[in-house]
Amino acid sequence: MLTLTSPVDTAAHRLPAGVKLAALSLWTLLLFQLASPLPLTLALFAVAGVHLGLGGAAFAAHGARMVRPLWPFVLIVSLWHGWTGDLAGGAVVILRMLAAVAAANLVTMTTRLSDMVAVIERLARPLARLGLSPRRLALALALVVRFIPVMLDRMDRITDAWRARSPRPARWRVLVPATLAALDDADHAADALRARGGAD
Amino acid sequence: MSAPASPVSAHAASSGILLDRARVALSGRIILHDLTLHLTEARIGIVGRNGSGKTTLLRLIAGLIAPDAGRVRIDGLDPATDRKGMLAALGILFQNPDHQILFPTVEEELAFGLRQQGRTQQDALAAARAALAAEGRAHWGPAPTSALSQGQRHYLCLMTVLLMQPRTILLDEPFAGLDLPTQDRLSRRLAALPQRLVTISHDPAAVADADRVLWIDAGRITADGSPAVVLAAFRAEMARIGERDADTDLAG
Repeated sequence: MLTLTSPVDTAAHRLPAGVKLAALSLWTLLLFQLASPLPLTLALFAVAGVHLGLGGAAFAAHGARMVRPLWPFVLIVSLWHGWTGDLAGGAVVILRMLAAVAAANLVTMTTRLSDMVAVIERLARPLARLGLSPRRLALALALVVRFIPVMLDRMDRITDAWRARSPRPARWRVLVPATLAALDDADHAADALRARGGAD
Repeated sequence: MSAPASPVSAHAASSGILLDRARVALSGRIILHDLTLHLTEARIGIVGRNGSGKTTLLRLIAGLIAPDAGRVRIDGLDPATDRKGMLAALGILFQNPDHQILFPTVEEELAFGLRQQGRTQQDALAAARAALAAEGRAHWGPAPTSALSQGQRHYLCLMTVLLMQPRTILLDEPFAGLDLPTQDRLSRRLAALPQRLVTISHDPAAVADADRVLWIDAGRITADGSPAVVLAAFRAEMARIGERDADTDLAG
């Protein structure tokens, strides 16, 4: 979600988050109804077409980059189905995964986190009866997204501090100081939250 | 010039910052010794060395910690328990913006305080965007807070506090780590604010224009008065300590 921000502003940015998430759910359901390679290939083309239609080539290229982290899964599924000889079955799994993830990324890229969180807050409202405050849940999500880059940056600085004084690479040795730093950051975040009225 | 030991009557103190024999101890060590203060001036400066207890005093006034003895009142409210009431009474600008920013995007960070004050998400976001536009920074709205420079993050934190319109703003080393043009801009901005400002700093220059300056040392008020008098004494003492080996003593 951190790097999943769109480089271009598209018409989809102005659709309500709930509509986009509902459409994504329907789309994923549909993908699971399709069970042969040809319709799934068409579905993948359809996702690519929506990218192109919304934001042009640059946007579509960005979308393609966003599904690249799936390559290990593609590799494993290909090897397995190559081994068992079920090539069509493998193609179905891979195409379905690509079409679903690309569509999910499209929703993420075009939706502000706070809008997404507002939908989650609405959906989680029944959980309030079990004692789980939807607002706290939403706040927790926002904090995770805010603090992942802060913690990565902190790890980099600890690694730098290590390398400045050691010829050996730091590797796992940063974990303990990074954990302590994270706890320290958590204390500061708690203060900042308290300074603005707390989480209740 | 140390504070009187008699309790200040609750009557005289319904507005402003009141400390009545407030003591703070952290893991058994007393950080603030029974401070009694009534601050009503528009511009208040608090100076002291590192470890003098000035940040603890700020946290006490902000209600982030409760006193171990005595009491603290801000405009008649207990800052440690009445968190909702404090939102309109007092805002705090932390020294490090990364310790203050809670949200991934600029407009969410700005809107959060307003939501805490009871406004709807849409209303809060609209107010956040209007505030950004008024500052000529409309394009900041959807930007990730992690992408802002240090000076920009500091500025965002100040805007966040101002948007909530508290009557008093606490500033912890507001100029530390900012380049000179940013310092200039920030100090002009602060000088123009109608709010009561309490500035905490180790740097006498940061509080030279205050109406009243407190000098804190080892958790006690060493001096309290006009900046001309207090800061002259503070500078002389800092120069005297600097002549000696300044930092051999360990705290505690």
